[in-house]
Amino acid sequence: MFKLILYKELREIIGSTKFAVTFGICSILIILAFFSGIKNYQTGMEEYEASKAAALRQYEKETEWTKVNSLQIFLTPEPLMSLIMGISNDLGRTSYVNGRNKPEIYDSNYSQQPVFAVFRYLDLEFVFQVVLSLFAILFAFDAINGEKERGTLRLSFVNSIPRATYILGKITGSFLALALPLLIPILIGILLLPLMGIVLSADEWIRLTFFIVCGLLYLGVFLTLSVFVSGLTQRSSSSFLFLLVIWVFSVLIVPRASVIIAGNMIEVPSKEEISIKVMKLQQQQSIESEQKLKELYRNYFQALSKNSDPEASAREEKKLQESLEKMLTERTKKREDFSSRLKEERRNIQSGQEKLAFGISRISPTAVFSLASTTLSGTSLELRDHYQKTAEAFSSSFADFYFEKTGFNIGNPLKIMLAMNKKEKSITLIDTSEIPEFVYQAPELSFILKDALPDTAILILFNFIFFAGAFVSFMRYDLR
Amino acid sequence: MTETEKSVVLEADKLTKRYEDGVLALDEVSFAINSSEIFAMLGANGAGKTTTINLFLNFIEPTSGEARVSGIVTHKEPLLAKEKIAYVSENVMLYQNFSAIQNLDYFAKLGGKKEYSRDDYRDVLLRVGLQEEAHNKRLKGFSKGMRQKCGIAIAILKDAPAILLDEPTSGLDPKAGYEFSRLLDKLRSEGKSILMSTHDIFRAREIADTVGIMNQGKLVMQADKDELSDKDLEQLYMKYMAGYMEDAA
Repeated sequence: MFKLILYKELREIIGSTKFAVTFGICSILIILAFFSGIKNYQTGMEEYEASKAAALRQYEKETEWTKVNSLQIFLTPEPLMSLIMGISNDLGRTSYVNGRNKPEIYDSNYSQQPVFAVFRYLDLEFVFQVVLSLFAILFAFDAINGEKERGTLRLSFVNSIPRATYILGKITGSFLALALPLLIPILIGILLLPLMGIVLSADEWIRLTFFIVCGLLYLGVFLTLSVFVSGLTQRSSSSFLFLLVIWVFSVLIVPRASVIIAGNMIEVPSKEEISIKVMKLQQQQSIESEQKLKELYRNYFQALSKNSDPEASAREEKKLQESLEKMLTERTKKREDFSSRLKEERRNIQSGQEKLAFGISRISPTAVFSLASTTLSGTSLELRDHYQKTAEAFSSSFADFYFEKTGFNIGNPLKIMLAMNKKEKSITLIDTSEIPEFVYQAPELSFILKDALPDTAILILFNFIFFAGAFVSFMRYDLR
Repeated sequence: MTETEKSVVLEADKLTKRYEDGVLALDEVSFAINSSEIFAMLGANGAGKTTTINLFLNFIEPTSGEARVSGIVTHKEPLLAKEKIAYVSENVMLYQNFSAIQNLDYFAKLGGKKEYSRDDYRDVLLRVGLQEEAHNKRLKGFSKGMRQKCGIAIAILKDAPAILLDEPTSGLDPKAGYEFSRLLDKLRSEGKSILMSTHDIFRAREIADTVGIMNQGKLVMQADKDELSDKDLEQLYMKYMAGYMEDAA
C-alpha cells in the first residue's frame, strides 16, 4: 500500500506540466550556477596569479633584504567558494603583512565590481535557498486539502488504508519526486567541474556532497512544512497564502531582522573609535616622551661637558642610543598592546553579536541552510577569522624570514633605518623566489564538518518537527 | 438470487449524529438494505443524506447508534468495513494527470484488487459507457459525465457487496442518466446492495426498490417500490418538504 501511494505521488508530480516547467527552470538555474561558479573561479585564479606575481615584481630590483619589509598576500580562490559564495565577495582579497601589525583585509570583489553587490551573484546557495523552497511549496501546498477539494482524498479513504501509511507514502513520494529529478542537473553541474578543468580535492568532494545533502534536507523542510500547513487548512488557496507568508519571513525577513536585532542589542565599537583611542594614547605618549627626551639629552650633554674624552663621549652616545631605542620600543609596544587589546575586545563583542544574530536567525530554516552551506563551502564568517589567523601566522613566519635575512628584528624600525642608510650597499639582486609564499588553505575537513554539524542537525530537526506536524494534522484531518 | 437468499448488507440502527456545535444532523435513523436492493434517499440539502453516507464510510463517528456493513460496525472496525464498500461521489474528479486506465489501476489496487489487467480496465470502462478512445487520455479534458463513468467503473472494480452513491446523477444529461439507471439495474442483479442519495425523484422511483425521504436529520418516510406504485412520490415528497417548510416558519 505504501509503495502504491508513493508511486502514485511520483507519477502524479512528475507527469504534471507544472513539474515540467519548474523542473526545467530549476535545472537551468542549477547548471548555470555551476557554470558561472566555475568561470568565476577561473577568472579569480587568473587574477590571483597575476596579483601575486605583481606583488613580487616590486622587489625584483632590490639588492637589500631590509627593503623587503612588507608583503602583499592574497586570498587563494577555491572552487567551492565560487559555487557557494557566502561572504567571499564581501571579504577583502588581499592584505599587507609586515611582521608586526595584525594584517587588515582590503579590496573585496564587491568594491571592485559594485554592480554585483546590488544584485548579488547567482550561486548554488541562492538557487537552493530561494528556488528549491518555492519549488517544494508549489508542489506540496495542496498535498492534503487539494486532494480533498478534488475529491480524491474521500475516494481514497473509501478503501481500507491506514492514514499513517497514506501520509507516509505521500510525503516520501513527494520528496522523491522533487529530489530525484533535481539530482540530475546537480550531477550535470558536478560533471562540468572536471570537464572545465576544475580539480577538487577529496575533502572538497566530501564538502560538496554534504552541501547537496543539506540542500535536500532544506527541500524536505519546506516540503513537510507545506504538507503540515495543507493538513491544517481546509482550502488550498489558504495554505498557499499562508506558506507564502512563511516563505517571505524565512527567506527574506528573519535573516535580516536577526542582524538588526543583534546589532541593537550588542553595540560593536567602530574601527574609527579604536583608532581615535590609539591616537589619543599616542599624543599622550608624545607629551611624556618629550619630557623623557629632554631629560636624556640633558644627562647626555652634562656627561659630555664633564668628560670630553672621545672614548667616553662614544660611550655616552651609545648609552643615549640605547636609551632612545628602549624608550621607542617601550612606547611602540605599549601602543600596540593597547591597540591589540581594543581590537581584541572589539572582536569579542563582534563575535557575541554574530552569535546572537545567528542564534536568532536559526528560527528560519533558510538561515540555517545558509549557515550550514557557507560553513561547508568555507565562505562563512569563519573564512574571515581563519584567513586572519593564517595571515597572522604567515606574518610571524615572515618576521622570522626577515630576521634570518637581515639579522634585524622586523619590529625594530630604528635599526632597520640605520641598516637601510648604511654606506656599503650590496650590488647583488635579491632572489625573490626565496620570499615565503602565502597560500590560504581552508580549515581541515573534520573542523568544517564539526562546524556544520549543529546546523545540519537543526535542518534534520526542522524536518522531524514538520513531518510530525504533517503526520498529526493528517491523522486528525476531516476527510469529508 | 432468490428472495430467501437475500441478506441485509447495509444497515442503519438508530443512527444519530450531533456535531460539536450542537447541530443534530441525524436523529435515530434506521433502515436496512438487502443484497440486490437499491435504497434511494431523497431530501433537501442538509436533510442528512450525506451525513448518513459519511457515517457508513466512517468519515465521522456516530453520536449513538450504529452503521453496519455486512454486519460489521463501521466505526468499530472501519478498515474491515471499508473492504465491503464502494463509493461514487456527486462530482468525481480523480487524478487529472492520469488517464482513465491509470486512475482505475490506482484505485483498484488501493481497494486491494491487484489481479486486474489492462483488458479488465478496458472492459469495465466500456461497460460503463466510456468510449475506447478516451481510455488512455488524461482526465483533464473529461466532461463531468465521463468522469462520473470512471467513478462508477472504480466502484465496480472494487467488487464490494455495498455501493454508496452520493447524488450520482446530478449534472448528467438525460442520456447519461438513463445509462446510469441501466447500470444500477445490472449491479443490483449482480447482488449489490446500493444506497443512493438523490434529489431526482423520478430516477429514484424508476430504479429504487425502497425510497426514503429525509427531513431535518430524520427518515420521515420509507416506502417499498410496490407501495409507491399506488402513491405519488412527488406529492409525498412535497408534502414532507412542505411540512419542513412549515416547521421552519
